[in-house]
Amino acid sequence: MTGILRIPSVSSGVVAAVVAVAAATALSWAMFPRFDRSTAIMTYLLAIVAVGARYGRLAAILTSVLGVAAFDFFFVPPYYTFAVGDAQALSTFAVMLVVGLVIGGLTAQIQRQARAATDRERETAALAAMNRDLAEATTDDALATTGARHVGEAFDAETRIVLGDTDEANETRPGSVRLPLRERDRQVGTLDVRLRHRRHLTTDGHRHLEAFAGQIAFALARIRLAAEAETARVGVETERLRNALLTSVSHDLRTPLAAITGAATTLLDGGARMDEATRRDLLDSIREETERLNRLVQNLLEMTRLESGQLRLRREWHPLEEVIGAALARFGERPVTLTIPRNLPLVPIDDVLIEQVMVNLLDNAVKYTPPGSPIRILATATDESVSVEVADSGPGLPPGAEQRVFEKFYRVDGNGLHGTGLGLAICRGIVHAHGGRIWAQNLPEGGVAFLFTLPLTGTPPPALPTDA
Amino acid sequence: MPEPIVVLIEDEPQIRRFLRATLTSEGYRLFEATTGADGLMQATSRQADVVIVDLGLPDMDGLEVIRRLRAWRPVPIIVLSARGQERDKVAALDAGADDYVSKPFGSGELLARIRVALRHAAGAAQGHDGRAFRVGDLEVDLMRRHVAISGVEVRLTPIEYRLLATLVTHAGKVLTHQQLLHEVWGPNHGDQAHYVRVYMAHLRSKLEAEPARPRYLRTEPGVGYRLVVD
Repeated sequence: MTGILRIPSVSSGVVAAVVAVAAATALSWAMFPRFDRSTAIMTYLLAIVAVGARYGRLAAILTSVLGVAAFDFFFVPPYYTFAVGDAQALSTFAVMLVVGLVIGGLTAQIQRQARAATDRERETAALAAMNRDLAEATTDDALATTGARHVGEAFDAETRIVLGDTDEANETRPGSVRLPLRERDRQVGTLDVRLRHRRHLTTDGHRHLEAFAGQIAFALARIRLAAEAETARVGVETERLRNALLTSVSHDLRTPLAAITGAATTLLDGGARMDEATRRDLLDSIREETERLNRLVQNLLEMTRLESGQLRLRREWHPLEEVIGAALARFGERPVTLTIPRNLPLVPIDDVLIEQVMVNLLDNAVKYTPPGSPIRILATATDESVSVEVADSGPGLPPGAEQRVFEKFYRVDGNGLHGTGLGLAICRGIVHAHGGRIWAQNLPEGGVAFLFTLPLTGTPPPALPTDA
Repeated sequence: MPEPIVVLIEDEPQIRRFLRATLTSEGYRLFEATTGADGLMQATSRQADVVIVDLGLPDMDGLEVIRRLRAWRPVPIIVLSARGQERDKVAALDAGADDYVSKPFGSGELLARIRVALRHAAGAAQGHDGRAFRVGDLEVDLMRRHVAISGVEVRLTPIEYRLLATLVTHAGKVLTHQQLLHEVWGPNHGDQAHYVRVYMAHLRSKLEAEPARPRYLRTEPGVGYRLVVD
């Protein structure tokens, strides 16, 4: 399209000049008996203008020369010779030639400008279209593909964009135009364009291509800056989490350690003077605190595994009842109502991890509700998934906390209790790894329900052999 | 009866210290080793009645220790392992270990495992000495193929019975899914652990008052099942 020189235009200009002069001669010849010579001159000038407008300056000059020759031959006595009878005829030739040249030149120039204006308009539109698409690209590669496609369409060319300042970027393809994509002083890529149909680029075209290259480089810079901003944001977030972890862990480690040290030293120093019940109580507290430490370490390990992506699901088909039962076996006297339909399908899960989810949810329910208050576990199934609900009758969650409870280190304020704020985050990590969902909702009758779903994906297990 | 001889292969001094106190006060003769090689030597030279092996030894893989002990003679082997390493436990059990305890563990748990292991080693396993197996309200008589809860007979299908009989034969010991599959279904069902789980659910619905909170047929998540003995 724009700024591209079409090489075969010279021969078509010559043909046009010859045809135009022939036509003007024929017309003048037909009119000659009734009009004078000046009419013929006008007719030739018209031909010059027409050819100049369409085929440019060189064709206009050729038309002028041919026109003068034809005029001399047909309309200046002696007729049918190139001989010139008088001086007046000579000056007519000169004027005709000059006028022809000027008009042809002017016409060609106007034409060129008009074409240039159209070209610029199209260039602007093509650039705008590319920028619109580039703005949607979020990666370097997507951007390179989009940019190459737009340049290819605009220039009807085979186009590629090589990112980086590599050997591949700097290797030249024969017959192609290569423009560096620069961001400040650094080359970030190369735009490589090879026009189809053996054409080549005009100065305007080259400038136009540079405009495309500039926009692509600019878009690359935008993506790089956005990525850097994201990295910085993640860095800050990681730092914040690390601080939260240190605060939380050091507190949660110290509290049970202080209790254990206190109980053990008391027993060592004054154990002999104590009654049996007091000694037992101190020993019990040592055991309970070590269990708490163990849970903390377990949660930290689990979280680390979840986050490092080292978690490998070992999925097998399990009856959910068994997994829930195994979790329940770790809790003591708390009354739990279980509603598990007998025909619940087998679920493809990692039983150790889903048991951990149940333990954490139950732990949560036990911790944040009054002792002795009931806990309900309800399992249901659809064709696609199985869902489990763990509901308590405690104070419920403060408004807005339903989502946040699953965030790492989030704790509901003001209850005087402290967990690590990891338990529910681990639940979410494990359930998500299974392709399920987990959420919390306050119940209208009081208390909170934690629900999670587990999809029934994969090939169902082979049917059981007959047993009779 | 002479004091049973326990060989403990464990490189952590704190654990050895705690077990030394526990085991000697319970009347066991304890010999300690800190490496697998030393442990194997002690186990054979002391004629161990029970070997306790930590899976994370400095000089050799705990699994290798188990295999070599097994090649020597059927001495009961109890594995010490950490929670979260269920695969290692299963591998150790399938390699021939008799049971495991997860660190941190209470002394009562380990002593119970040792008692069960010694009882089985003595060939006095329930059901083999002509007496019926009893725990709580459950009664299983392997000679008469008779199963009852509170004196009322329970009808079991052939597979349910074979599953229960296997658990009774190894009462108190953990059995992996593979071991149960092999015992109940034969050698060609290796990848069908869900058979065991489904039949275990059937068995619980017939034997347990609350199948989801089993009293007798305990689940060891990621490892297998255990029929409790007390």
